[in-house]
Amino acid sequence: MNKNLLKLAMVTLLSCTYGFVQAQSSVVTGTVTDAGGNPLVASVTVKNAPGIGTTTSETGAFTLTVPQTADSLVVSSVGYVRQAFAISGTVLNLQLTADGAFNLDEVVVIGYGTQRKGDLTAPVATVNMENAAKRTISTPMDALQGAVAGVQVVSSGAPGTTPTVRVRGVGSFNNENPLYVVDGMFMDNIDFLNPNDIADMSVLKDASGAAIYGVRAANGVIIVTTKKGSLNMKPRVTYNGYVGVQTPNNVLKMADGSQFAAYSLAKGENSVVESSVSKFGGTNASPAMSTDWYGELLRSGALITNHNLDVQGGSDKITYTFGINYLDQDGIMDAENYHRKYNIRMQAEARVASWLKIGFTGHLNNSNQFSPNNAAFRQAYFASPLYPVYDPSLELAKPVKFGTSSSLGIPTGFWFNNPIATAYYNHNESKGFQILPSAYLEANFWDNKLTFRSQLSQRYQSAHAIGYTPVYYIDNDQRSDRSYLRSAQTRNTNYILDNLLTYRDEAGSHHWTVLLGQSAREERWRETWVSANDVPESSEFWYVGQGAQGTGSATGYGEGGFRNAGISYFARGTYDYDSKYLLTATFRADGSSKYQTKWGYFPSLGLGWVLSREKFMENQSLFDLLKVRGSWGLLGNDGIQPNAGYAIVNSGNNYSAIFGSMGSTYGSRIPGYRVGRFFTQVRWEMVEEWDGGIDFALLDNRLSGAVDYYYRKTKDLAFDRPIPFMWDRVYGNWGSVANSGWEIGLDWKDQAGEFAYSIGVNATTLKNKVVDLGGLANIMNGFPEWSAEFPARIEEGQPINYYYGYEVAGVYQSQAEIDADPIARQYNEANPGSPILPGYLRYKDQNSNGELDEADRVNLGNYLPKLTYGLNIGLSYKQFDFSVALQGVAGNKIHNLNRAMRRKYPQMNMDQAFYEGLWTGEGSTNAYPSAQGSVASWNLQASSFFVESGAYLRVQNIQAGYRFNIQGAIPVRIFATADRPFIFTRYNGFTPEITGMGYDANVYPVSSTYSLGLNVSF
Amino acid sequence: MKKYQYIVVGGCIGMASLLSGCEKFLDKPLENQQRSEEIDYTDLSLMYAPVSGVYRAASDDNLVHWIDLSIRCVREDDYERGAPSPNDNPELMAIKHFQRDVTIQSYWGLNQSWISYYSLAIAANSALTELGHFAEAIPSGNTADAALNRQYQAEVRFLRAYAHLMASRLFGDVPILSDSDDIARLTTIEKSTVAEVRQFIIDEMDACAADLEDARPNQSIHVGAVTKYSALLLKAKAAADLAGNDSASPYWDVVLDATNQIIESNKFSLYPDFYQLFKLPGKLSDESLFELQFSDFGLPAGDIVRPGIDWGTFFRWQGPAGDQRGSAISGAGWVPPSQDIVNFLTNRGDDTRLKTTILYCGEDGDPDTYVETPSGDRVYGNPFGTKYFNGKTYLPVSQMTEGRLEYGANNNVRILRYADVLLLNAEAKVRKGQNGDEPFRLIRERADMEPITGVTLDQILDERRAEFACEWWGERFNDLVRTGRAQQVFGSEFVPGQSEYVPIPQTQIDANTNFR
Repeated sequence: MNKNLLKLAMVTLLSCTYGFVQAQSSVVTGTVTDAGGNPLVASVTVKNAPGIGTTTSETGAFTLTVPQTADSLVVSSVGYVRQAFAISGTVLNLQLTADGAFNLDEVVVIGYGTQRKGDLTAPVATVNMENAAKRTISTPMDALQGAVAGVQVVSSGAPGTTPTVRVRGVGSFNNENPLYVVDGMFMDNIDFLNPNDIADMSVLKDASGAAIYGVRAANGVIIVTTKKGSLNMKPRVTYNGYVGVQTPNNVLKMADGSQFAAYSLAKGENSVVESSVSKFGGTNASPAMSTDWYGELLRSGALITNHNLDVQGGSDKITYTFGINYLDQDGIMDAENYHRKYNIRMQAEARVASWLKIGFTGHLNNSNQFSPNNAAFRQAYFASPLYPVYDPSLELAKPVKFGTSSSLGIPTGFWFNNPIATAYYNHNESKGFQILPSAYLEANFWDNKLTFRSQLSQRYQSAHAIGYTPVYYIDNDQRSDRSYLRSAQTRNTNYILDNLLTYRDEAGSHHWTVLLGQSAREERWRETWVSANDVPESSEFWYVGQGAQGTGSATGYGEGGFRNAGISYFARGTYDYDSKYLLTATFRADGSSKYQTKWGYFPSLGLGWVLSREKFMENQSLFDLLKVRGSWGLLGNDGIQPNAGYAIVNSGNNYSAIFGSMGSTYGSRIPGYRVGRFFTQVRWEMVEEWDGGIDFALLDNRLSGAVDYYYRKTKDLAFDRPIPFMWDRVYGNWGSVANSGWEIGLDWKDQAGEFAYSIGVNATTLKNKVVDLGGLANIMNGFPEWSAEFPARIEEGQPINYYYGYEVAGVYQSQAEIDADPIARQYNEANPGSPILPGYLRYKDQNSNGELDEADRVNLGNYLPKLTYGLNIGLSYKQFDFSVALQGVAGNKIHNLNRAMRRKYPQMNMDQAFYEGLWTGEGSTNAYPSAQGSVASWNLQASSFFVESGAYLRVQNIQAGYRFNIQGAIPVRIFATADRPFIFTRYNGFTPEITGMGYDANVYPVSSTYSLGLNVSF
Repeated sequence: MKKYQYIVVGGCIGMASLLSGCEKFLDKPLENQQRSEEIDYTDLSLMYAPVSGVYRAASDDNLVHWIDLSIRCVREDDYERGAPSPNDNPELMAIKHFQRDVTIQSYWGLNQSWISYYSLAIAANSALTELGHFAEAIPSGNTADAALNRQYQAEVRFLRAYAHLMASRLFGDVPILSDSDDIARLTTIEKSTVAEVRQFIIDEMDACAADLEDARPNQSIHVGAVTKYSALLLKAKAAADLAGNDSASPYWDVVLDATNQIIESNKFSLYPDFYQLFKLPGKLSDESLFELQFSDFGLPAGDIVRPGIDWGTFFRWQGPAGDQRGSAISGAGWVPPSQDIVNFLTNRGDDTRLKTTILYCGEDGDPDTYVETPSGDRVYGNPFGTKYFNGKTYLPVSQMTEGRLEYGANNNVRILRYADVLLLNAEAKVRKGQNGDEPFRLIRERADMEPITGVTLDQILDERRAEFACEWWGERFNDLVRTGRAQQVFGSEFVPGQSEYVPIPQTQIDANTNFR
């Protein structure tokens, strides 16, 4: 079917070009300047002739071929009022006046189209790409941190990883990330782009804006338009690049050798300390060995380089853009690890006839990522400082004489392995490429009132991942007796075909548009992997056929994949009366192959009233703009797991038992299978969203902003629910959750002579509440593998997944206090062998029954921030400019799982704050247990001891720049940037930015980047 | 020009209508996932497949998980402790001391045990549903396949019953999960008493025995599958639990009858070499009534079926800790045999069983020394001062597949042995006032011990301890509980009526409040 479509499109296209007729035209030249006569870079377009336009050169000059029917030019430039000028000759000298903050005529990119900002009924945030491009980041989404109200970006800090983006809280467990639409293609992330590639980024937050994307819209939609040239534009070359170093920031201080020794002695593990002293010297109080594992594992000064070259231009019929970008980033782990990629971007559009445009956009990405073994960080958190990185006395260690914790008598095994060795014996490389071709045609009819656009966007992505483990020996557990190779190929092939028909018309003060659209898409993913042992160490032999001692057999293999398809029909109507009364209505019907319920329907309605255009507002001078908006709509989430709606059969080698393994015979498998019988019929997860807001601009447009209240209710929330009796979870629609809050964005801009400044503030509040659990009293959840010990609970009327456990009331300071406390007395009577001692945590007896029991567990807090905020300050004086961006969250809790892991791994090391906080005697502290108590199960229950405040304020970016011209005509800007230089937080971990449910098992330090950059344009 | 515009408009309308005609576009079943509806139940050659699936579930993790194993073992006086280091999993030592408060209830290991046993029960229930579908597809005249179907169902029911016995011996009153097709039932099912669970097992085995193969497991068509005699022994064990220390209990007749049937079949015999019984030569011997089978297929690398996860297999978990200088005879050093069991075997001159059960970690655990095993492997000491490791999980390097370095790879895990039949038979006879000397003689003879005439109950219980010493299934602890001797052995820490069982995990109670 797809083929037929293509054929049809080709035929239509060919037949159209045949009828091309050249219209008569004339040439206009001129300059654009500001009030002071300084040249401006501005866009010049012909009114009522979409697509005909140019951009002025750095001297403000332009040349434009205009149709004879044209009567005026529209000129716009960032920071200036958009203005129309009559074509009163062939040479025009045009002057623009500076704008305040708010420009109603600014065109905003919305779903499947554009709209005048003044006519929006939805809170659409446009991202200031100039500011975003200032940040030295490897993915564009990091640039949104703290920049847009209602958008929370959580970055894990590891290079090459995609940040988590939450728009207006968490309404789903399935796919929290918003939908990215890059030049029409749906993407799960935009890591492959560089901020410099992006001309425009719009965030659709509410239903009125996003519902046109139906089933993909529940988490918000971010529309990305890449840079394009314009007609009759002199080629413009822009270079933007920086070189910087990354330094680990806020590295958690771990206990050193003598602290670890004192701690071990206090918990009665003398042999650990004595082993270290006898092997490596020193005394029990001050052992000679004090390995700083993070210090050994990290490097400061890992390079990051980014070069971006962009060429734009256009003739009278053709516009083009060509961009190339190269990123080279080394990781901060002191072992081989890096992320290198280059992107090539091409865009061309031809005006085949006055009424027909065809265009092509292509992205080519090539990436090479060598991933570090991040398990080394976990091991560095656990590793005792009392043994060395290298230990030449280990006779069997090969090829490198790495040290081992088993020389201290600390059992080795995964968590307690030597972290440096783990980092060293690692080869995990992925090479991939991605091609995103997209072709479109756009035809205008009926005096441009009717526009038809058809676009085919595709994505081909392929990657080859190679993992290799050489032969090595450190100790009984940390060893690899046979080399191991795993080779995996993955492939993504997606396409989207969109057909849009837009009708735009007006009669008097009535303006309306109607959009009809249809879209079909398919997504396929496939992975094939093989593995082999005994493959030689040299990489040219890394083929499975070289393995298994010449027998050439793969020791493992597997395949995975999925395929989803969707069809959609959608419509949008907008109407306004005199740009005063505004209406937007959208409807989308989405069909998906993922569920039994194939079709979902997503309507939305938005209303707006521009009060400042009313008569009664005419005589006031305070407000330049005052608009009230309101919207309602339904949104869907496509991220929920494809559901079979039937019992799955698991078969093959892993489900077949051995029979006949008798005496010296080996036996063999009898083919078996197991049926996973627990399944549900999954329905669409739906979000119903209400939004009310005010847009305003006051004091001569110096202050502008928007205030919104939102209420989002996710119905049929789909997630995996633990079930009794087994580890398996059952996926289904188990409840409803509501997110509501205020979103405030304010911008102040002013100028005094040559000094200009701007301040932007945004803040979002969030209240999350579970409103329905389908009759269940509660659902216990939690971090996988730790959900039994440190559960999170879902309960009606409470925030989702709150930490559930005992409330710590203090620390028992003395035996007398223990004897006087019913809980401790009762416990000690029952367990004389392991009694509660002074220095143990004192839990609050919530039901005052004198016993610590399950009823004493309470809500200990939740991971969702009640407040997310950002602050952006920009200053410029003459040729200097300076900017600072800050962002932070407040009101959230983090479960410090790293500390809680002592429950299973009591011999792990600890952070220094933990050591220094330990109870050492009566009155020493009321917050931490004693050293001995820190490994007693009594103190390792789920409790508020492990729940900490997650509030932080991070200085995200500081940049200083200087502008000058070389040879008088080529503008240059040089800049120095510090990214993430400071963080203010009381949280005892590497970073308070925790993805998922806020269980902090993260041991990867965030890095600061300091860089110098250059921007040239000619 | 208008003409071409119409072509474009026509084209787009055409495209849209083409697509809308494609409802099938959305009919794409989930890829790479076989649906149960597609199983061809009329193809009876597939009928054993769900049964094989349950055996695999049992042998993968459900009966051999390292922490479950540690919990079962640590309660006995045959074992010194849980983890080699005292602060590691301190709950194990608390369980050893019969602690049962919230700190134990929130212990992850108990939850793992619970899930291990019940995942096996759920896998069995699912397989029974499958076998039901096959049964429906068997033509009414086809009695041979109908009988096979019943036999297969009975094998699965045996595994389910065994899972319940393990669950109840650890947790006491537990739910009988004989039907789990409805997910809602999991959150509403109620507990049954210890006695009800035993009665359920007896009833199940009564129903199954006739349908099962009348053969030794190693003679079964599916070599090593459970047979009629496995069911009879399981029934006898449940009955002995019910009888308790009451020699007048009618359940001793059940024990006697079931064990007599096994003995009188003349199909079973004790494997003559006790030491090799637990090594390769003893895999699926004529003594075996229920054994989990594993294999490395004789391959030095690649495909292997092992008991549990690679770093924590049943064998590796109990292997000697410390620096073993690259030897394959190495492990995590958990649940080491106790000095008590060493003394017990030594004092009764039980050399064969001592040699088989107890192996030495260097000289007195000293990490700088080594001791050779009877099979000639060097085992060094360790920094924890652990002196012994379990010889019944030991597989000598000489018996390992060349090229493998994984301790215990290719060995089976023995669960039910004919020795248990003989000893239960002797006990039932003695309790009923009959003479139990004959079955008792066979046991002693194989262990190179002098026969005893006029054997007493105490002697039988001692013999049980020696015979099954350190055999992982909690037999020793269960014997002490059912004979009411636990407090004699454990002292006042053991509170009768309470210390017999560990508490049901809090997280399971949170999911189903009927377990409270």
